[in-house]
Amino acid sequence: MALEEVYKGENVDEVVELLDKYGKDAKIIAGGTDIVIDLRNNRIDPKVLIDISSIEELKGIKDKGEYIEIGAGVSFTQVVENPLFERNLYGLNKACHMVGSPQIRNKGTLGGNIANGSPAADSIPPLICLNSTLILKSVRGTREISIEDYYRDEDARIRPDELLVSINFKKPKKDQVLSFAKLGLRKALAISRLSIAILVELDEEGKIINIEVASGSLGKYPMRELELEQFLLGKKLEDSTVDEGVLVLQRAMEKRLAGRSTFPYKRVAVDRMFREALGEAMEYLDEVRA
Amino acid sequence: MKEIQLKVNGRDYSLNIDENMRLIDLLRDELGLLGTKEGCGEGECGACTVIMDGETVTSCLVMAFQAHGSHILTIEGLERDGKIHPIQQAFIDVGAVQCGFCTPGMILSAKALLDKNPNPTREEIREGISGNLCRCTGYNKIVDAVELAIKYIEEGK
Repeated sequence: MALEEVYKGENVDEVVELLDKYGKDAKIIAGGTDIVIDLRNNRIDPKVLIDISSIEELKGIKDKGEYIEIGAGVSFTQVVENPLFERNLYGLNKACHMVGSPQIRNKGTLGGNIANGSPAADSIPPLICLNSTLILKSVRGTREISIEDYYRDEDARIRPDELLVSINFKKPKKDQVLSFAKLGLRKALAISRLSIAILVELDEEGKIINIEVASGSLGKYPMRELELEQFLLGKKLEDSTVDEGVLVLQRAMEKRLAGRSTFPYKRVAVDRMFREALGEAMEYLDEVRA
Repeated sequence: MKEIQLKVNGRDYSLNIDENMRLIDLLRDELGLLGTKEGCGEGECGACTVIMDGETVTSCLVMAFQAHGSHILTIEGLERDGKIHPIQQAFIDVGAVQCGFCTPGMILSAKALLDKNPNPTREEIREGISGNLCRCTGYNKIVDAVELAIKYIEEGK
């Protein structure tokens, strides 16, 4: 670590001006739960560090009627403790609750989970299912991008002069539920081996009329599982459908992961994770309908 | 160098610190508060846990300059009028301290838990201390100690 200058940012405007001034020499620090380790191991070597952990405008969870806006500086603990993420949004609560440990959840932020770009970031698959939009600011203006495109297109990722300010998504309809399942190697402090988030809506006959499935750690970055979604859409959730769905998902991940040492393991594990996420979704559906 | 002001265990400090310093370095090397331990240095073990503005953090993952304007509570700050805190007393009474390296962080995690939820279940206690590793006790004695601490606090001991 050879920092020459450190700033404790007070507002977004000040931070984007600093980013404009220092560009690639500067790094943003929020919760610090990843970057401090990278700094100490000399994996990154910025000259300037800009702290955004005290900026109030980045720390709000706002219920905007049809939409929810989560500030990029919102901690996992804040999400877990917020009543907005109960019932049909419980999958996001669960994903945030499974991050690290209490200490890590107190400091780690959703914005950091995104901007840092880890393929194992727990909060991302649920945010993908919700079709979230990311708001990035720089002195040049504001950029909005869907979280799915943000990951899919490497050129769309955060630029050195940009600050991620918020994550926005439309609230699911009353009959839609979001669920989440993660496989870690232990209960606390586990980095995801893989994770699955599902947003689903059934009609009165039990047919799937809306489904979004997103995975973490089943590719280079968290992504939608489009082939599985297409397969499930319009079908009833019978055992044979779920069994076939697992095969569709396994085929899709094979294309991305074949040859990797973890593939045979993940291929088996994804079966269980998908069933767990789906099973929970059905439980939540019963709850929100009750 | 960067000038910061912060409160540690109720006392105000104004310090000139190295930009590269972490909060744990500030506590141990600048203020001599050696109760806070450094274990893994990566936020996994919880030995360096302190309470920052009411929430537990691993002080090895906080840069010292980030603590400007905040209030830090370390294990040394739990003492009141020469008496140790009921959670500390419970740890001693139950035998939840063996080598002692995890103890300061463990007790601060227990305190943060009890401040938010004065009557946790055993399961909630386990979750509350899930960010603190102990290689001696097997955790059962620690959970017992937190349960006893609940009783001590209720009795105003």
